[in-house]
Amino acid sequence: MKNVVMALAAVAGLAATGAQAQNYPTRPITMIVPFAAGGPTDVIARIVGDHMSRTLGQQIVVENVAGAGGTTGITRAAQSQPDGYTIMMGHMGTHGAAPALYPNLKYDPAKDFAPIGVAAGTPIVIVAKKDFPANDLKGFLEYLKTNGDKVNMAHAGVGSVSHSTGIFFNSVVKVKPTMVAYRGTGPALNDLMGNTVDFMTDQIVNVAPQIQGNNIKAFAIATPERSPVLPNVPTTKEAGLDGYEVSAWNAVFAPKGTPPDVVKKLNDALVKSLEDENTKKRLLDLGGVLPSATERTPEGLQKLVESEVARWTPVLKAAGATAE
Amino acid sequence: MSVLHEGPEPPRHHGPVRAPQSLAGGILLIALAALALWLTRDLDQGTLNAMGPAMLPRWLAIGVGLSGIALLVLSFMKDGDPLERWSLRGPVFVIGAIVAFALTIRPFSFGSFATPGLGLLFAGPLAIILGGYATNEARLRDLVLLALSLTPFCMVLFGDLLNLPIPVFPQALTGLFPADWSQKAVLRATAGIMAAAAVILFLTTRNRRPAPVDVADHSGRI
Amino acid sequence: MGDFFSNLSLGFGVALSLQNLGLAFLGCLVGTLIGVLPGVGPIATIAMLLPITFGLDPTGALIMLAGIYYGAQYGGSTTAILVNIPGEATSVVTALDGHQMARQGRAGVALGIAAIGSFFAGTVATLVIAALGAPLTKLALVFGPTEYFSLMVMGLVFAVVLARGSILRAVAMILVGVLLSTVGTDLETGEERMTFGLPFLADGIDFAVLAMGIFGIAEIMRNLDHTEHRDVVRQAIGRLLPNKDDFRQSYKPVIRGTLIGSILGILPGNGAVLGPFASYTLEKKLAKDPRRFGRGAIEGVAGPESANNAGAQTSFIPLLTLGIPPNAVMALMVGAMTIHGIIPGPQVMTKNPTLFWGMIASMWVGNLMLLVINLPLVGMWVRLLKVPYRLMFPAILMFCCIGIYSINSLPTDVMFIGLFGFVGYVLIKFGFEPAPLLLGFVLGKLMEENLRRALIISRGSLETFIERPISAGLLAVATILLVIALLPSIRKGRDEVFTE
Repeated sequence: MKNVVMALAAVAGLAATGAQAQNYPTRPITMIVPFAAGGPTDVIARIVGDHMSRTLGQQIVVENVAGAGGTTGITRAAQSQPDGYTIMMGHMGTHGAAPALYPNLKYDPAKDFAPIGVAAGTPIVIVAKKDFPANDLKGFLEYLKTNGDKVNMAHAGVGSVSHSTGIFFNSVVKVKPTMVAYRGTGPALNDLMGNTVDFMTDQIVNVAPQIQGNNIKAFAIATPERSPVLPNVPTTKEAGLDGYEVSAWNAVFAPKGTPPDVVKKLNDALVKSLEDENTKKRLLDLGGVLPSATERTPEGLQKLVESEVARWTPVLKAAGATAE
Repeated sequence: MSVLHEGPEPPRHHGPVRAPQSLAGGILLIALAALALWLTRDLDQGTLNAMGPAMLPRWLAIGVGLSGIALLVLSFMKDGDPLERWSLRGPVFVIGAIVAFALTIRPFSFGSFATPGLGLLFAGPLAIILGGYATNEARLRDLVLLALSLTPFCMVLFGDLLNLPIPVFPQALTGLFPADWSQKAVLRATAGIMAAAAVILFLTTRNRRPAPVDVADHSGRI
Repeated sequence: MGDFFSNLSLGFGVALSLQNLGLAFLGCLVGTLIGVLPGVGPIATIAMLLPITFGLDPTGALIMLAGIYYGAQYGGSTTAILVNIPGEATSVVTALDGHQMARQGRAGVALGIAAIGSFFAGTVATLVIAALGAPLTKLALVFGPTEYFSLMVMGLVFAVVLARGSILRAVAMILVGVLLSTVGTDLETGEERMTFGLPFLADGIDFAVLAMGIFGIAEIMRNLDHTEHRDVVRQAIGRLLPNKDDFRQSYKPVIRGTLIGSILGILPGNGAVLGPFASYTLEKKLAKDPRRFGRGAIEGVAGPESANNAGAQTSFIPLLTLGIPPNAVMALMVGAMTIHGIIPGPQVMTKNPTLFWGMIASMWVGNLMLLVINLPLVGMWVRLLKVPYRLMFPAILMFCCIGIYSINSLPTDVMFIGLFGFVGYVLIKFGFEPAPLLLGFVLGKLMEENLRRALIISRGSLETFIERPISAGLLAVATILLVIALLPSIRKGRDEVFTE
């Protein structure tokens, strides 16, 4: 019954917000999530934002501004007042792949932001349909090479994580499967389970339940270490594939020009939330990977963005993938 | 469309056009088809094996165009409905109200054109009052009353109760209130002032005209 | 069978706890109140209200969200009936006859039969999920791109049947609708199509924006033209609830609608969207006097509303048993589950039986709540129609603006409802109906994507559509339906192209 009362209180807006603070923040902070509510980035933003709100004493209101692979929301956030009251959850796509995918991009991931810190990454897993005629990564790669474009690779649309990481996979392994586009991960997974398409690469949070349920098979996880969520799935390195380590990282940014002390406060709150046991557990349950100590700093995030742009641009340009 | 049947029998037209409505409809469809074909002119049609982005739109446009031509031809052959009378007042004010809302709800810029974000506080009344003039029966007093009662209701519902990230008022407004007031307090106070203004306006002008009691009453429950 | 009852009783044990009952009630209530705002469909409502469930335990949160979903859906039907603004694809059909009923002073009856039909459909669908959920999942998996394409073709044939006026005009509107659905970034290649280079068109046209424009705003403009007709609603309010005759007319459509909706809802590619259209088509074909349809036929509300609600429920099946969201609403539910630490997937049923069965049982509870909340509200909604139109429409206008803005926070979306409103107005003036356009739009996207997928996978062979049995069957049904639809006009020959 207590929960009903709590929900009622939330509905009735009785949840009083602290109003005493003399300095930042004195009013709710808007966190722009450039994807629809319910996706992995949104979930991470809400989990981390929830704890940050408590540290900052002001609510972080998540605003979903979806569109154009996340660039619509990030463009808007980049152009908002740099006062710390508008921040955003950027990710691998918006701050790594976007410059290659969108030639008319209105922001520069490395220059137009005040980085706060990485929130969490979700590793990429290479998965295939249950009946796929190979049982490990080695056999899988051989099959790909001999069968060429007879193999169908699913992805969740141009600009999605599964698309970028899929192209990256093809360029590392030097194969050219037939690409089949879906609108989102759900339908792609459905057809993978229905044996209509052969394989895809996607974020662990999307595919883990299906792997555990034995509906699809996983060949490798593209991280340096195995994930506790999928302890039986080898890393790409263990399975004999070098050079394919990729995870869809999510990080908090503020617009360029945000005062340093505000950035510091936000960073402190972020780091604190990542140290919180409950937040940690919720992120790990998703299959998420917590950022390293350097990645939690603004400088570390800045470096990450620069290296990611450098990594994705040639790969995607070579594959001729643009979204405009 | 039921509307078409509401008038008296269509007057018979003299001249070659026997169904003006079909003629206009046909021309509209052909124009639409032409526009779509022009817009997709640079896109690749592809093959069945790998359909390009232009294949479906192009074939659809051709289909639309053919339907248009059929309508056009039929309009010379068979009797049909005349064109209805048009009034511009409705569409102009309705669209005006919508655009006014869009431009004022948050800062908006398109090229060199930019507007300040005034929030629901201004966008709401603007839409109601401007939109209200779409009919010639508009009465300013009633519209102002409606605006003053509906806007605070929406502000409280969306901004306060539901915590939606909809801009409620310009940031400058916070300066008018004591510095230690939270955003929510300012919101509630503003809504209160507006509602009070609505009541005062209602009471002071009620003798002049029968008051639209149920408007203010029902607005609170939508 | 023993399992069935023990599972259900486990579920009801969870759902009937005081806390969960309260949450289901609260969810339905809030969902209805928000969903009734013009243009705010279930997706927007759930996205808005997601945060208020964060403080709850997972089961409670999902029960509340499910309540919000049903509430929002029913709220959307309310708006469709009262002001002719469908909040989502499935209530387009409800708007056709429901709004006509409202104009004839039968808004209360329409709302009442919608609530009662939905309740019946919900009850049946709950039992279907509990009894057959797991085995039915297999059905979802045999539906690949080929089958979906054929299903969508069948859907477009429904759209032809659905139209009232000339078939030529209906076909033209369907084609325009499909054409509009291709605006935006191409899914396969990422190239922009027909966007005029405008960034806000890159993701295509939003359904809510298009529907609100060509239905809601166009309706306002049209009403303003016809001063003498528009206050019809005010004169006679009539009965508030359906009477015996109404029930006699609608019980069969309700049963048929429930069946159709339940089956289509299971399909993972948003097959539920076809339910109301299919039900409407069926009722129109079965009716003794099909001309009543589109002029306030109660069967045209009862059948589709039941199909709608049944589909809304059974679309939980792919989510609950497979963890695969069949549509945007379910994708949001996945998000909600993940936020609460439950990763949806095939294991939920075994790992978390209280959640799984509790949620299923709460579906029925939610439907009951909906009935309890909405029957008393009918009187209030109907009374709202008494407000003079000169004050009603500016209020609707503002709520439309707020509703659309709150979905994506984009001012351009708001402007587009004005543009589409004008387009809708011109179309009406030229004798076109907006409903087939909207249906074409909804099915168009799914159709193109699946066609291209199917052809890529078959490497360009069109035979794939007849080689696969399900696909061939669907296409055959579509052909038969089309012939039936066209026959009267072929037989009557002459002026059918122009008559209504």
